[in-house]
Amino acid sequence: MKLFRKKPESAPRIVGVFAYVDDLVLAIRSAKESGLAIDTVYTPVRIEEVSDALGARPSPVRYFALFGAITGIVLGVGLSIYTVLQWKFLVSGKPIIPLVPFVIAGFEFLILIGVLFNLLGVVIMTRLPRFKLPKWYDIRFSGDRFGLVIKCGPDQKENISTLMKQSGAESIHEYGP
Amino acid sequence: MKGFTYNSVNEKVLGTLYVPSWKYWSFVALAFSCFLIGMTSWGYQIAVGIGASGDNHPVMWGTYLINFVFWVGIAHSGTLISAILYLFKAPWRTPLARAAEAMTVFAVLTAGLFPLIHLGRVWLVYWILPYPNQRDLWPNFQSPLVFDVIAISTYLTVSALFWYTGLVPDLAVIRDRSSGVRRKIFGFFSLGWTGTAREWTHYGWAYLLFAAFATPLVISVHSVVSWDFALGIAPGWHSTIFAPYFVAGAIHSGLAMVLTLLIPLRRIHGFENILTMDIFENVAKTIVFTGVIMAYSYGTEYFIAWYSGNIYERDIFLWRAVGPYQVQFWIMVIFNAVIPFLFYFKKIRTNLITLFGISILINIGMWFERYVIILSSPAHEFDPYSWGLFKGPSIVEYGIMLGSFGMFFFFFLLFAKFLPSVSISEMKEELALPKRPGGRGSDETI
Repeated sequence: MKLFRKKPESAPRIVGVFAYVDDLVLAIRSAKESGLAIDTVYTPVRIEEVSDALGARPSPVRYFALFGAITGIVLGVGLSIYTVLQWKFLVSGKPIIPLVPFVIAGFEFLILIGVLFNLLGVVIMTRLPRFKLPKWYDIRFSGDRFGLVIKCGPDQKENISTLMKQSGAESIHEYGP
Repeated sequence: MKGFTYNSVNEKVLGTLYVPSWKYWSFVALAFSCFLIGMTSWGYQIAVGIGASGDNHPVMWGTYLINFVFWVGIAHSGTLISAILYLFKAPWRTPLARAAEAMTVFAVLTAGLFPLIHLGRVWLVYWILPYPNQRDLWPNFQSPLVFDVIAISTYLTVSALFWYTGLVPDLAVIRDRSSGVRRKIFGFFSLGWTGTAREWTHYGWAYLLFAAFATPLVISVHSVVSWDFALGIAPGWHSTIFAPYFVAGAIHSGLAMVLTLLIPLRRIHGFENILTMDIFENVAKTIVFTGVIMAYSYGTEYFIAWYSGNIYERDIFLWRAVGPYQVQFWIMVIFNAVIPFLFYFKKIRTNLITLFGISILINIGMWFERYVIILSSPAHEFDPYSWGLFKGPSIVEYGIMLGSFGMFFFFFLLFAKFLPSVSISEMKEELALPKRPGGRGSDETI
């Protein structure tokens, strides 16, 4: 997991704009088979087929959430116990550390810290916030078009363009370093 | 969702964000005026002291706690719709979810003010927070009031984050179709979202986990609120049924408020194709379900009071039905546990006027349920010497109550005009994926 962002790379990119998701998936699979470096795929919605084609694995965000939840329950119950131990009052013959009411504090802290870590996880993993959009980002990607961005070396441009055309790309753009 | 494409969903929802008419601004001004009346009343109470509220022994909480519980209850169906129905993959939740989540956030914000208002010396509120002070005086973690602080602040944080997280992709859609200052504002709040596969993967997991955390939270929060009462030994309060009874009541009132807000919203925004009658019908059916739970809970309370043989329990429940609060009691029973059953009739649950009217009656009924529960028990405890009736609400309480409704509707009106009131990205997910006609190059891949 990379906690710190790398400096933007200067390799040129070829961007294919697709109108149909099956064309996009075909292009992704073809690019992977050809050993090309897929930089980014843009879609207006979450699409399982695209994730499958890219070979996406389950997100580590769940580990952030799990860690937060465990931290939360320890913090909630621990804080409750710590506070009663400061004075050790006996009330109505009840135990000094009555665990039943502390379950509530533990539960609420579990949720709160779990959610905060879940948020932290998604922020780190998605590398957001981003203050400047990539120059190849096309506003149609939040509308009804799909984008495939492939990094390329100087001798790969022709191949990538052909691959995208054959897959059904509506338009192809090249962005220099 | 027939007849929609990705672009038409964008256009339809973004079309609601155009310059509003004078009618819209007049409603905003009305809501804001009510809010100002509330703030003025609270300011007066702070200046004069809590005695200005007129609340006195034995019914110390007056309408402040009624409104607190009422607004927390309203908040609940937002999470029910956005989180619980998300986990159950109920398809009719999608068009409702965003507005219901917004309703939750604004209702919790409103609810959270009432304990502060009732404190009187509001500037000392930090005493309830767990922080190390020089005398090692910590809040008592065995007190239901501390449970309340933890639960409500957690609920506000979680519901606000859940709502905002869901908004991020939609804010990016608006950013991409705006210019100038508007683009900068939406660009800032959309956090530079571009809809990459990486973003969607992690976002999808995070959203699922948000829903998974929010689901038990919604059950716990109103349970905790119910324990404010149930952990007291007053007759009519000290009951194990309170947690599920309050949770069901909260969802009952919240669903009614969803109808109250979304029926006008549908008309104003022209969302007839999105907020379809089927969706409202499903909400009405869920209200019948929660209405059954309410009726069962009311019946169980009376049965247990009789069956237990406890004279104090029997007396308080008899007193509620025939005593000085009988009007409020029968409003509660009829509006919450009788009228919702009208939704059994298809004609009634598929008519917007009856849906809207009944939703308002349920809201009124649920407000009076809190009135009956919260005000009657301390007014009629064990010792007749300490019996006494609630004399209010006073003019200050009326002002603050009006202010709370003003604040809620003020925020909701701003939300409905300046943010997408229907989730664009989730609506698109409901549509069929755009595939090449004839399936060129697609059949072997998908």
